[in-house]
Amino acid sequence: MFFGLFRKRKKKKKESGSRTDAKDRLNSIVSSRRRSVPIQDIVPQEVLDGSEVDVKNQIKHYVSEKYNVNEENVKVQFEEHNGYVVIITNVVFH
Amino acid sequence: MANVFVVTSGKGGVGKTTISANIGCALASAGKKVCLIDADIGLKNLDIALGLENRVVHTILDVTNGKLGAQEALVRHKQLKGLYLLAASQIATKEMISPEDMKKVINSLYKNFDFIIIDSPAGIERGFRNAIAGAEKAIIVTTPELPAITDADRVIGLLENHGMDESNILLVINRFKKHMVKKGDMLTQEDIKENLAIDILGILPDSEAIIVATNRGVPVVLGDDNETSIAKVIKNISLRLQGEDIPISRDLAQPQNGGFVDFFKRIFKRER
Repeated sequence: MFFGLFRKRKKKKKESGSRTDAKDRLNSIVSSRRRSVPIQDIVPQEVLDGSEVDVKNQIKHYVSEKYNVNEENVKVQFEEHNGYVVIITNVVFH
Repeated sequence: MANVFVVTSGKGGVGKTTISANIGCALASAGKKVCLIDADIGLKNLDIALGLENRVVHTILDVTNGKLGAQEALVRHKQLKGLYLLAASQIATKEMISPEDMKKVINSLYKNFDFIIIDSPAGIERGFRNAIAGAEKAIIVTTPELPAITDADRVIGLLENHGMDESNILLVINRFKKHMVKKGDMLTQEDIKENLAIDILGILPDSEAIIVATNRGVPVVLGDDNETSIAKVIKNISLRLQGEDIPISRDLAQPQNGGFVDFFKRIFKRER
């Protein structure tokens, strides 16, 4: 009983100081992350430059015909999301 | 010409909106002309943090849809003549505004302000991309916990990919608890800085004053309690943004909730 009291205290002391655990975990997580892939790494810049305007125009034309809205009300955006090229189209219906 | 900052974090609930509102107020109190932009489309909290929720007539969506100019859509703060808000729309979704729209809005406001502060939504999807589109510099908000720090790291990577220089990305550590650091139960500012590899703009203590201030709709730097530790640190941050060299050690020198001074303050308050 008497010795058990000391053992418990010792254990408590060892459990404190979670900063060290957090620091180690943070180091291991952060060292393997940072930097996602830019869009140019997926589609080369020259291919992107050549096709982006054309693709945007075709989508704008198709959507404006399909929904009977002005082409100015259709906005097409190219984005990179976690290694994927995403084409986002916004249509403003009046 | 404005300094355009985006306040972002990756993780939600770390205090982006409160910090945006308070930094804006502190800068405007110092005589700067400040525009706060709520880029959290669909949720919009910045007007509430500023106590301006009943004054919002137009939103950023009215501007991007061409209904009116950005300048006309601004709401002026009740107390601070130099502080303006461009509110987000609650009925819209983040996809209804594009990064190009955001750039146009900022370009049209650029010449009229000393500081433009964009409050980013949580996450790294469309809302985040809109918020960072027109920003030149970033304030990353994190708390000293692993999920927030690792999300901040991801966001720093995305900002760098977006073309932002590391020297233009600054860190604010929020809800820092000195007593836990002393006990060895919380990461120190050095631990966080070492891993994120960006400069620290400020270290905000964990504070109950923030909750009281938000309840009242009066940012803590403008309230009756504007001499609290957290208000002083926000003023330090605002001075650093204006180019003054205020050492970070001054943020840490402030007494915190639950400290020795606070204990006596509470006793005397109760007696009154």
